[in-house]
Amino acid sequence: MAKSIAITGLRTFLGRRLAERLALLPGLRLIGLDRLRPHGLASGVAFREIDLTRPDAGSALADVFHKEDVEVVVHLAFRREPSPDLEGDHELETIGSLHLLHACAGAGVPRLVVGSSTMVYGPHPDNPNFLTEEHPLRGHPHAHCVQNRVEMERMVADWTARHPGTSVTVLRPCWIVGPTYRDAVTRYLARRVVPTLLGYDPLLQLVHEDDCLDVFERAATEHHSGVFNVVAEGVVPLSTLLRRAGKRTLPVPPPVLYRLRAYPSQAQTGDRPEGFYDYLRYLWVADGQRGWEEFGRPLYSTREAWMSAISAERMRSYR
Amino acid sequence: MSGAESGDLWTEALGGLRAELRRRLAQVRGEEVEPAAVEAGVDWLALLEDVRRRFGQLGMRERSGEVDDFGLDPETIRSARLLLDFLIKRWWRIEVLGLEHVPDDRAVLFVANHSGLLPWDGLALAEIVAARHGERQRPRFLIADWLITLPFVQPALARLGGVRACRENAERLLGAGHSVVAFPEGVKGAAKTFRDRYRLQRFGRGGAVRLALEAGVPVVPVAIVGAEETHPILFKVETPARALGLPFLPVTPTFPWLGPLGALPLPSKWVISFGEPLASTGRETEAAADDLLVARLTEELRGEVQRLVREALRVRQGVFT
Repeated sequence: MAKSIAITGLRTFLGRRLAERLALLPGLRLIGLDRLRPHGLASGVAFREIDLTRPDAGSALADVFHKEDVEVVVHLAFRREPSPDLEGDHELETIGSLHLLHACAGAGVPRLVVGSSTMVYGPHPDNPNFLTEEHPLRGHPHAHCVQNRVEMERMVADWTARHPGTSVTVLRPCWIVGPTYRDAVTRYLARRVVPTLLGYDPLLQLVHEDDCLDVFERAATEHHSGVFNVVAEGVVPLSTLLRRAGKRTLPVPPPVLYRLRAYPSQAQTGDRPEGFYDYLRYLWVADGQRGWEEFGRPLYSTREAWMSAISAERMRSYR
Repeated sequence: MSGAESGDLWTEALGGLRAELRRRLAQVRGEEVEPAAVEAGVDWLALLEDVRRRFGQLGMRERSGEVDDFGLDPETIRSARLLLDFLIKRWWRIEVLGLEHVPDDRAVLFVANHSGLLPWDGLALAEIVAARHGERQRPRFLIADWLITLPFVQPALARLGGVRACRENAERLLGAGHSVVAFPEGVKGAAKTFRDRYRLQRFGRGGAVRLALEAGVPVVPVAIVGAEETHPILFKVETPARALGLPFLPVTPTFPWLGPLGALPLPSKWVISFGEPLASTGRETEAAADDLLVARLTEELRGEVQRLVREALRVRQGVFT
């Protein structure tokens, strides 16, 4: 019997790579959902066009789930990085998730996997050094994509309580790095001169893209219900990360950096600089213990993940 | 770039400089010089690059890049040791009493009186225990919330073994086998004015005792005398402090009059006295759930620390001697 797995957000990094990995496994039927057909679709993935921002997305999704007899839905239709289109981001990430939850309830999908982020805990000076999965999700008031995810997670938690028949897995990876992963964070870290906050040097935690995909793959194919942080072992101060990569830093006093609204985040993310730079000011390290017990230890530690990412970056610069 | 190569660069540059000086000197004396016959080409750009690289190496040396889960960097501690040793032995001439009460084979919870705005007391206590029982037994001291928001202070304290004071952190540290230094008086202890020195404030809400009971670790009461005089707070100002986002702005004999220099601790004489570990009953988890018992034990602990403080004050003759 062929188990069918539906993946929303097929064009996102995680969606595409997860589909490629699952396509190699025998006995799976894969349905990829997105707004547009991706280039170079992995063979064995059936594409269905769905726009989660449309008001009728719920019933369209439910139709697909019903027709294909979908057993697992992996929800990855989130922005990889914030866009200046605040309304659009909210429509996709929060309302889109609502449509998806409605569709899952309507079609009676037995298993749902949701991709979130440890950024939902938010950087706060009163965070403990390690945030467990039970910690309240405070997000950051000026990071609109994080706020969308916080709202999405609340809806998923409510929904899970009301639908005991569905097993829900929420995965919260921390910042992903690796040879091929690109987003606003890796772009920030890849600058030649990296602006940092003068007087602050927080401990950061990273996860390698392969480790992250391993966890998503296991969550899609096996039964693991609950909320899990997906993080690597170990923490590294920001200054050490940058030094290891041979970057020069430009320490700027936080009040100055926060007033430079056009540089560099405002234009690209639509958020005030705090929305990003507070994540480089206070602790928001997540405790990975529960995830490691469930999915096994990651191959790369934070430091090794970073080394893998920067060695790939160096190779590219020689091209 | 190898050492020999960069060495050559330096000799070359200095040689060029010397030749140039000699030529100028000769010109001043009015001697005949064949113009620029000995002029050596100096690659000033390469020299600059070399200097930059040396500075870079210097910066790299003081950090290992390997911090533990709580941000402690052994390399930072190693480079700070000279300063800490000076502070402990020469500046404060710390007299240590009862160090034999500290078990060297297991994690303990040190409970001490708190004083001084910067956690010099926790730092000194951790250093003294680590010097006796080795780095592996270095206790982590808990630091108040408002220090976490301070630039420069927070990263420095974290590399030296400071951890934000909260229940989750303390539990995790004790669970990982690290000793913990707790100051149950909290900000109330650090912020008391000079008039109230060595008068112990309320011990929080009994969190320290409950923590020790739940983790099953012995409690070692500690009195730290002398830290009160490092930053004697004459009075506190609140209105301008709020604009800076601080709970209060202390006014000491040196701060804010001397600016950042005022943050340097005064050379008071210190006594650190360790008491006997409080015996554990063996029925810890039940006891931890009993609020009244926890409150009583907390009060007993406060009495014990206060007694140690009074004893230590008698040992010390004067504030600076």
